[in-house]
This record gives sequence, C-alpha cells and structure tokens, in this order.
Amino acid sequence: MRTFIARRLLGAIPLVLGIATIIFFVVNLAPGDPADRFSSPTMSAEAREQVRVNMGLDQPIHIRYVRWLGALAQGDLGVSFSRNRPVVDIIQELLPNTLLLSFTAIGVAFVMGILLGILQAVRQYSLLDSIASIVGLFFYSMPSFWLALMMVLVFSLFASVWGWPISFPPSDIQDIDYAFFSPIEKVQDRLMHLALPATSLALVLAAGIARYTRTSMLEEIRQDFVRTARAKGLSEPVVIFKHTLRNALIPVITLVGLYLPFLFSGTVFIESVFAWPGMGKLVVDAILQRDYPIIMGGSLVFAMMVVVGNLVADVLYAVVDPRIRYD
Amino acid sequence: MRVRLTRLILVAGLAVTIGACGGDGGASREAGPWMLEASLAEAGAAVQFCEEVTANVSAYMSQFEGQMPPSERHGGAVVVASIGDIPDGMNNHVSQDYTASQHQSFVNLMTLVKYDEDQNPEPYLAESWEVSDDASEITFHIRDDVYWHDGELTDAYDVAYTFKRAIDPETAFPNAAYWTHYEQGPDGVEVVDSFTVKFQMRPHADYIDPWRATTIMPEHLLGDVPSAELRQHPYGTVCPVGNGPFIFVEHREAASWTFQANPAFPADLGGRPYLDRYVYRVITERTTLLTELLTGGVDVFIRPFPDEVQAILDSDVVDLLRYPFRGYVLVGWNARRPQLADKRVRQALTRGTNRQEIVDALLQGYGTVANGSVPPFHWAYDPSIGRDAMSYDQDAARALLAAAGWVDRDGDGVRENAAGVRLAISIKYNHGNDMRQDIAEIMQAQLSQIGVEVTPMVVEWGTLLDQIGQTPRDFDGVVMGWIVEYKLDDTDLFHSDNISETYAWSGTQRPDIDRFLEELPLVVDREEAKPIWSEYQELLVDEQPYTFFFFDDRLDGINKRLRGVEMDARGEWLNIKDWWIPADQR
Repeated sequence: MRTFIARRLLGAIPLVLGIATIIFFVVNLAPGDPADRFSSPTMSAEAREQVRVNMGLDQPIHIRYVRWLGALAQGDLGVSFSRNRPVVDIIQELLPNTLLLSFTAIGVAFVMGILLGILQAVRQYSLLDSIASIVGLFFYSMPSFWLALMMVLVFSLFASVWGWPISFPPSDIQDIDYAFFSPIEKVQDRLMHLALPATSLALVLAAGIARYTRTSMLEEIRQDFVRTARAKGLSEPVVIFKHTLRNALIPVITLVGLYLPFLFSGTVFIESVFAWPGMGKLVVDAILQRDYPIIMGGSLVFAMMVVVGNLVADVLYAVVDPRIRYD
Repeated sequence: MRVRLTRLILVAGLAVTIGACGGDGGASREAGPWMLEASLAEAGAAVQFCEEVTANVSAYMSQFEGQMPPSERHGGAVVVASIGDIPDGMNNHVSQDYTASQHQSFVNLMTLVKYDEDQNPEPYLAESWEVSDDASEITFHIRDDVYWHDGELTDAYDVAYTFKRAIDPETAFPNAAYWTHYEQGPDGVEVVDSFTVKFQMRPHADYIDPWRATTIMPEHLLGDVPSAELRQHPYGTVCPVGNGPFIFVEHREAASWTFQANPAFPADLGGRPYLDRYVYRVITERTTLLTELLTGGVDVFIRPFPDEVQAILDSDVVDLLRYPFRGYVLVGWNARRPQLADKRVRQALTRGTNRQEIVDALLQGYGTVANGSVPPFHWAYDPSIGRDAMSYDQDAARALLAAAGWVDRDGDGVRENAAGVRLAISIKYNHGNDMRQDIAEIMQAQLSQIGVEVTPMVVEWGTLLDQIGQTPRDFDGVVMGWIVEYKLDDTDLFHSDNISETYAWSGTQRPDIDRFLEELPLVVDREEAKPIWSEYQELLVDEQPYTFFFFDDRLDGINKRLRGVEMDARGEWLNIKDWWIPADQR
C-alpha cells in the first residue's frame, strides 16, 4: 500500500506540472492585456509600458515561462497583479476557507445521503421512499447557485424580516466582531456562517448519494449473508449498519473521487453568492481580470487537490473492500 | 465505528448550533478597549516591514488607551459594503480604482485640499496656500499637528516626496497627466521649511485639482523603496500607515477591511471621528448584498441598481440617498467605418433614439439625459447644449440619413448608399451588464424604424476592451461607461494626436475640436472658461463621436440608524469621519 501511495504521489508531479504548463500558455495567449486592465485611461503609452515592466510582462512568453518555473522551484508563486500581494500569502489565507466549506459540505452530504439512502432501501416502495425520490430528484436537478440564492432569501431575508426564531447570516465567514468573541462564541459564529453555504452545496450532492446508496443497499440486502445474519439473531440496526452498509458503500466511495473536482468548481458559485472568501472565487475573478500569477497559483493548487482527492478515494476503496490489494 | 463517529460529530455540531441560536444573530457588539495589537500582529506577521510598522503603530496608539470618549455621540461600528474590493489598498502611488482613492482621501490618508460642494478648494492637510500673480508658483503651508499613525510628524518632506514619486516615470503613476503643467525638473519642488513647500508650474486651469486627488504618502516608510517596486510593496494591502481620521487595523483578503478611529486626529479638523470602527466589506453577489442591507448586517450599500431600489424604498430600516454623479453611459461610434463616417449619420442615430424613455425605463428616472461630456452639477455645464439640436425626432433623423445619401433603394426596410453598402451596424456591449444589453436592444428596435439595421453583440469584457482599443478597431458601435474627472479633459478621447491610442474609440479628427482641447486646460479663470466650454460642447454635438446617453444618478442604501451622512459627486465616503450612531442603536 505504501509503495502504491508513493508511486501515485510521484506520478502526480509531472501531471500537475503538465496541467500548469498548458494553463500558462492558454491564459497568456488569450486576448486582453493585463497591463491595460491595471492602467488608467489618463496614462501615457510610456507609463503603461512601465506598468508592463513593473509587472514583468515585457518579456517574451517563453522567458516568462522559464522564470515562472524557476520561481516555482523555490516555492515562490509570484505577486498578484490585481491584489499586489504574494500569491502564496493570498492562497494561505483563502485556501482554508474553501477547504472548510468543501469538506463540511461533503461530510454533511455523505452523512445525509447515506442515511437517506439506507432509509429508502429499508422502506422500499413505501410513501417515504417515493417522496424522498421526488425531493431528491428536485435537488439533484437544481443548479447550486439558484439553491444558494433561495436559501439566502428564505433563511436570511425572510427569516429576519418576518421574525422567525432563527435567521442565518447571508455572507462571509464571520461576524465583524469576531475578534472580540470568546472561543465558544467563535465556533458558534463559524457554524452559523457555514450553515447556509454548506447546506446549499450538500443538498445537491446528497440527492445523488442517496440514490446510489439506495440502489447499492437494495442489492446487498438481497444477499444470502444478510439472511444469515438475521437468522443468527442479530438486531436489525446491527445487520443494516454493521454488515450490509459496509458492502454497499463501495460504489458510493468511488463517488468521493468523482465528486471532488465538481465540488471545487461548485464552490465558485457558492462562494460568490455567500461572499465566502475562498479559492474558487479568487481564481474566477483572476481569470476575468487576467491576473496571471493567481490563475497559475490557483490552478496548481486545484490540480494538486484533485490528485490527492483521487488518491484518497482509491485508498479508501482498498480499506473498505478487503478484496482489493494494490501492489 | 466510522458511521457512529460521524453521527456523533453531527449531533455535537447540531447541539452547538442550537446553542448559538439562543443569541441574536445580527446584533453587533460594542467595541471593547483597543484590540489593535492582536489584529495588527496577525495581518502583518509574514513580512518584516509590516512587523516593524505594526509594532510602531501599536506603541504609539497605546498611549491613548483608556481615554473616555469625548461625547455621547462617540461610539459604534459601521459597515459599508459594495461589490468591488479595494485592489491597490492605500497605496496612492499606483492606485487608480475609485473605491481605493475614496478610502485613501477620506478614511486612512489625507490630501492637501478638499473640495466643497461647488468644487472650490478648502484647506485640509494644507492650512493655507498662496499663488503668485502670474500663476507660475504655488506655496503650501502644511499643518504642524498631523501625525502618521506610527507617531511620526507629517511634514513638507512627505509632500515633496509624494510629488517626486508621482512624476517619476518608473512609478507609472496612473494620473501622471495631473502634473503635465507642473515643472518636473530638479527645481520644480522646493521644501522651504518643515511645513512649507513650493511648486513651480506653467499657468493652467484647475492647478489645485491634483492636490485634491493625490494623498500625501509617508516618506519615512516608503522613501527607500525603488519606484518600480512600489506597486507590490506590502504597505498598500498588508500594513498601510496613514495620517487620516481612521487607522488601518485588518485586511481579510477578498472579504473585508477594518479601520479604527484615530484619537490623535487634529481637533481643528473635527478631532477623533465619532465612530469607533469602520468595516468595509466586499460582497459580489447583489442579492446577498441587498439582503445584508435589509437585515441590518450592512449599514451602507454602495450603488444599488435602479431595480433594487424598490426593496430599499419599501423597507423601514433603510433610506435611499440619491445625487448626481460624474459617470455617463454612451454609445461610441467608430467613424472609421464607412457607414458611420458621415457625421449626419451619427446625428441621425442619436435623434432616432428616445433617450429620455430609456432613462425613465432603465434607470427608473434616476438620471439625466446627456448631450456632452460635462456632468450636470459641474460649473462648466450648459443645459441648453444639444437639448433641441439632438432631441428625439424620427423625421429629422430620416431627413439626415437621406441627406447623407442613405436611402432604402431595394425596399427591404434597410437603407443603402449609392455604392450599395447597407446601413447595417453592430452594437457591442460587455457580458454581464444588463443595462448595456438593454440599451443595445432598445436601439435595435427604435433604429429599425428609421431604416437602420442594428445587431447587438455581447463580448467578454477583456476581449471587448481589446477590440475597441487596439487596431484594427473591430467594432461599429459600443455601449460603454465613462467616469469624468473634476478637471475635465477629453483629449484622450477626441484629440487627433491620440487617434491610435487606446481611448480614441471614435477616431475623431477635427482641427477645430483639437484647438479647443488644447486651449481649454490653459484658461485659468472659470468665468473666462465657461463660454469656451459651451462652444466646445456645441462642436461635440455637431460631430457626435458618441451618442451620449445619460449621467446616471448615484444611489446608496443607508440604514436609518446612521446619522450625519452626506454624499454627493465628491464621493460616498466624503464625510465618514462625521457619521455617528445614537447610543441606543449601536
């Protein structure tokens, strides 16, 4: 197993570099000059050229590429054109927010989805099953940003204006008084701010996961070993959760690896709607502004996260299914 | 096992959340005693420059700790939010963003002078100034009681330093055009004594305007930085140090900027601001921003769109503030194209569009039809210009087109000229801007009635800028916005010398317009200049390089608990140091 992991990680390095190279050339060749975006109308041509020099854009593209690689080898991702800070600092600040959101959403989605799927499988053809299927299909088809906007309107605006007992803050990761809070209040505040964004992301995912789990559970429940377990006198919860679920989870775990890239791209919408300061929005804004250093740095980070995510999914796969062995 | 553990965590999380819901979700706490040290240390931790700087600021500010607030108006925190960030932070040497310059001028730093409502200069950092009789020399006397937030005194050396940086080509100062008529050689600026500085200049109009727009920067912090590296220096976005009414506390990337009241601000200028804290938040999704405004999470919503105004008017926690501004929307015509080369065609396109109807429909009436580049509140504005000459009149438009040789020869509803070229043009607009799309589509409908075929085309923003700004200027018409400076100058847009430059969208080449563009900046006296401006604007109406659409009013949503807010064309943050909140609403 260890050699497997090591080999995968080593193989990831040329892969990520290849992705970064492709993105570098595509972005640099797109129409639109960053220096113009960051120059003002009243600037002379010389001044604009100076801006280009100050940003390091006066060099031909292959020299810029080599310089960028060289800096990368030393852990320097350059300085952002639009935010004028080292890209590493920006990513350090924003990546944890995106990870918090993504992992919370994935965690909630899996728990909700799996539980719902189990419930549906155990109570197949009941009214609950039908309703859950329809509701699941509804959320599965919803674009996440629409769902996010609806949650803002309902659980923030209407809740506050109509005086419901709970109303959630619609944006950002923390209150403006966060620095004055006690540790417990800080955790509470984070959770309150996390509630709506994570739920919007999770609902869409959970619907799909519930469907997969339901199907998978239905297959497993018909197996002979389940009948044996029941015959041995084990209680129903133990049969379902301890024996059946473990087998049924195998295809569901494959979903982890599949969903990860979509999760990171999905956070772009959620981060925009909820003003969640995270990587997704950072990279999209950078693309629109032609902020090359951030685009490159962000793409690198995303590529690495997807590679690691897939690796984790494969390892989990081996953990859950003893028949699978990597050499 | 795995599943049990997950459920345990979920249940625990739920319990904490329910516990949190006992409290009030949106109320803001009263600011405690100085929390400066903790946040400043966090913000600057990564960079040595910032560590030193924040240590100095904390040390200087700690002497004011524990002071009683001067009056019961003092206290509270205000949150202002908008969809844009402050890209270059407080670094005035390189910044050209509007929000950034507002924060530099009114929040964190200081300019030598400010404007009053009639755009006349009044003292701020400069206590007084003298101009020689021939307007070739200006001497500023700086206040001696303004301190940088790290304890250093602001003096004439800072002013001279700021000027030298601005004219240094390596800085790439965005508004270098301000200083065109200032003497930039070695004798241009002279520091007479610690608080007196003298500039040489050639006589020209609005010579004080650069000092209204340029904030004075700290020489003791930035003096040794090479000009080409100023842009990326951490001073701007990680640890700014100002001398204005508010001290920088924290910048959370892509999320918020926090400032705290400066207790050392001179009493003559108002002393310590009433507010304890000011937070600027970035919320790019408009629905969320509106929600925050209506639920009290945000006190000021900068620039809601006209269709969001209804929700603000309906709400009983928020008021709408409205004032004329200096931005206009236009359709620029590329006179290099055969269909648009004749000015009569361009005049016809303007007369064939019902611009007042568009203002009423798209802006809900919050705007004024424009016939030139001078904003309605400006001293050079003449409301009679173009009002009749360019009024909505389809018959006049048809007559103009016919006179220019465009007639519908084949009966398909679209005019052709003698060579058979059809009067079919495209109007481009940038993706993501609903108003500009609406304008393009309305023009398509209205102009089809006078025999012009218009095709609206959506283009991504960066690509569009390329297409209109670089040869081969691949566009016929483009819907754009433009913000005008107080020191009006259309040279970049319409002077024939600049015809290959980025902003010469229209390709205008007229010697008489050139002459005006060269003369106007040199007329020192406003009374003298006003009739000349009117003549210039008449020429512009005749030439119609653009169809000027409207100057849209600026709108702001403001929570009713906020008092003393004044906003006008000078900006939203104009008097932020005088905003206050009654004690029971903090």
